Amino acid sequence: MEDLYIIKRNGKREPFSVEKIKNAISKAFLSIDSFATQEVLIDVMSRLKIYDGISVEEIQNQVEFSLMAERYYEVAKAYILYRQRHYEDREVKEKLDFLINYCNASNAATGSKYDANANVERKNIATLIGELPKSNFIRLNRRLLCDKIKDMFGKEVADKYMYLLNHHFIYKNDETSIANYCASITMYPWLLGGTRSIGGNASAPTNLKSYCGGFVNMVFMVSSMLSGACATPEFLMYMDYFVRKEYGEEYYKESEKIVDLSLKQRSIDKVITDCFEQVVYSINQPTGARNFQSVFWNVAYYDKYYFQSLFGEFVFPDGTKPVWESLSWLQKRFMRWFNQERTRAVLTFPVETMALLSKDGDIMDTEYADFTAEMYAAGHSFFTYVSDNADSLSSCCRLRNEIQDNGFSYTLGAGGVSTGSKSVLTINLNRCIQYECKNNIPHLQFVGEVIELMHKVQTAYNENLKYLQEKGMLPLFDAGYIAINRQYLTIGVNGLVEAAEYMNIPINDNERYQHFVEEILGLVEMYNHQFRTKELMFNCEMIPAENVGVKHAKWDREDGYKVPRDCYNSYFYRVEDDSLNLIDKFRLHGKRYIAHLTGGSALHANLEEHLSQAQYRQLLRVAAQEGCNYFTFNIPNTVCNDCGHIDKRYLHECPECHSKNVDYLTRVIGYMKRVSSFSQARQEEASRRYYGNM
Amino acid sequence: MKYYNFDIVFQEIPDEVTLAVNITNCPNHCTGCHSPHLHGDIGFPLDESEIDELLAKYGKQITCFCFMGGDATPQEVAKLAAYVRTKAALKVAWYSGKPQLPDTFTSFDYVKTGPYRPECGGLKSRSTNQRLYRNSGGKPIDITARFWK
Repeated sequence: MEDLYIIKRNGKREPFSVEKIKNAISKAFLSIDSFATQEVLIDVMSRLKIYDGISVEEIQNQVEFSLMAERYYEVAKAYILYRQRHYEDREVKEKLDFLINYCNASNAATGSKYDANANVERKNIATLIGELPKSNFIRLNRRLLCDKIKDMFGKEVADKYMYLLNHHFIYKNDETSIANYCASITMYPWLLGGTRSIGGNASAPTNLKSYCGGFVNMVFMVSSMLSGACATPEFLMYMDYFVRKEYGEEYYKESEKIVDLSLKQRSIDKVITDCFEQVVYSINQPTGARNFQSVFWNVAYYDKYYFQSLFGEFVFPDGTKPVWESLSWLQKRFMRWFNQERTRAVLTFPVETMALLSKDGDIMDTEYADFTAEMYAAGHSFFTYVSDNADSLSSCCRLRNEIQDNGFSYTLGAGGVSTGSKSVLTINLNRCIQYECKNNIPHLQFVGEVIELMHKVQTAYNENLKYLQEKGMLPLFDAGYIAINRQYLTIGVNGLVEAAEYMNIPINDNERYQHFVEEILGLVEMYNHQFRTKELMFNCEMIPAENVGVKHAKWDREDGYKVPRDCYNSYFYRVEDDSLNLIDKFRLHGKRYIAHLTGGSALHANLEEHLSQAQYRQLLRVAAQEGCNYFTFNIPNTVCNDCGHIDKRYLHECPECHSKNVDYLTRVIGYMKRVSSFSQARQEEASRRYYGNM
Repeated sequence: MKYYNFDIVFQEIPDEVTLAVNITNCPNHCTGCHSPHLHGDIGFPLDESEIDELLAKYGKQITCFCFMGGDATPQEVAKLAAYVRTKAALKVAWYSGKPQLPDTFTSFDYVKTGPYRPECGGLKSRSTNQRLYRNSGGKPIDITARFWK
């Protein structure tokens, strides 16, 4: 027995010691006021089958059985309880280690163990409080889901779900929260009755001031009941209504008029931009209820065709209708103000989307096309959604939705704006495809099985959500801010480019690649249709790689899969590829590739320098021609760490104080953030990006 | 006339989305040249059928077609420029390294002149010897200042 080694919990080998086992057994006897004689010890020990490389857990399991076989039940019970106490101790110790590591991490995102997409700038006690229970949430969520899968589809499916999850074929997004994911809300119920229906105490807004203040509170409340983003596509439309009520229908024609009797002598324009300031700065504050994350807030702008389509039937509670001319002015004013304000402060939210309707390879509303190009040229960073049909809209940072119902309801407002994603479950395509190849499984057979299972899992998730709603836990649904049957269950894809690379398919616009993409995304769409019911809608989205792409790359590499980069792409092209020009990238995010991505994807055109208005205007045409429906231009902004100056350009030296101690703001997912606040792995991805073709 | 590669560029011609073809066999041999690989007689033949292919792929998305180089055979550049104009409603530009405007100026919408001199810098430098002209009804307008924002 002298040459035997055991494996400790930390994975280290240690010579096997009979004395240690004897001691443990003796202590168990003593703990119930009994005593183990040498004979007793030998009897118990003789039943153990120790072999080289046995784990501590296994030895302890054998001791339990041995004690029971020798009929020392009381001792066995004491021994089991003793093991459990130690297990709990170790768990606390792990948390303690995590706490210390978190305190030592370079920033909040790197310190986060489970969900590095934390939109927090700095780590502190509040962000730590948010991190600590995350592992418990993951366990709870898995248990909830597995129990429901067992109920609905049997134990085998539940076990397979856990197998695929634990072996990283699939990834459950946002498992660290128990709330449903993201939503684009209709604010009509709030306009009618305030926040009481969702548990607040505010009555309906009645003027510009109560609208702005109430809006901030409402967004905080809604966000605290979601794990992801909250989009308010009507923010400016309602604001325009209150401005008109206060300063007249034609306020935008006399915006310089002084309307303030205080010593400040503020103009209409100043009153309005003060409102912008109040709302935007308030919402960018870290929030207590969200562990010091700011809420993730999205707004939308519309061209006149989208406005017509979405709000043509809309009626405010006082019977009046929205007015395009003043809303259009307010939209432009907000965008220009926000662009300017971003040179003063790092303002991450709102994430903005401009919705433009296209026809015959160009944007129909030329005024808004020119304005959109003007704002890009002025250095503003926002998304553009282009569609040749107003039946779809993207109101979140990427989430695209088919508009189910453009009608108007006197209790719920505009039907088209209410949407979202209840839950995202992502397939790791790189691993699935490589697994098929390595095991000689026919192409896409395993992938198909995984996708089918994902739909069952999502169906089970939906049942759990319905249960929560039945118990009154989801007031956002009950109050009509969002509708449970208008929210999608999202199948996310990650590792698509990497899977194609593994199959030696060139990652550019060619028939093989197009076919590969169509085949896989088409398969997802087929199951999306198959599982669709009156209350279940599925969509497919190329998820922003946030931290999932980093995790997949790491896990796949550890398990011997081919991994070409440290963070899987969120695009249809390789992020570091300098052989593709900008038009190629629009093409790869064009209709031939994104057709089955019903939930959307975003082209982030990384550029080193800003283009001119005329050039951006032409690129809007390119987007319309190629059918690239969602995109943004990403030019790193420079922030001076010494004087705080923010410049819209990508500079190596501060133009104000000439310090070389500069940081950059860029988009990693949907939103602008300091590069130094990204997690370590994301910072590396950002540094490898190709800011192209200047 | 041969070309080495092409790219979609934004900085070379203001306000245009430009497909730029890099022509090889450059005779100028400027000191401090950024693309010495273009000195050799290498690459693919640039002719009408090659241009047809490029236009089929990018003609609708671009606003300008630019010949980068080609000073060894200026007449050929002008001929292909005329061909581009017959095939598509595009602006045509030429990045020449010669100090003066070519006789064929009217075949182009933009012409850049001047060899690269390291002491003067490229178009973005205020002391540059290079010039970018826009063809305004046959008259060359110097728009070099557009690079000095």
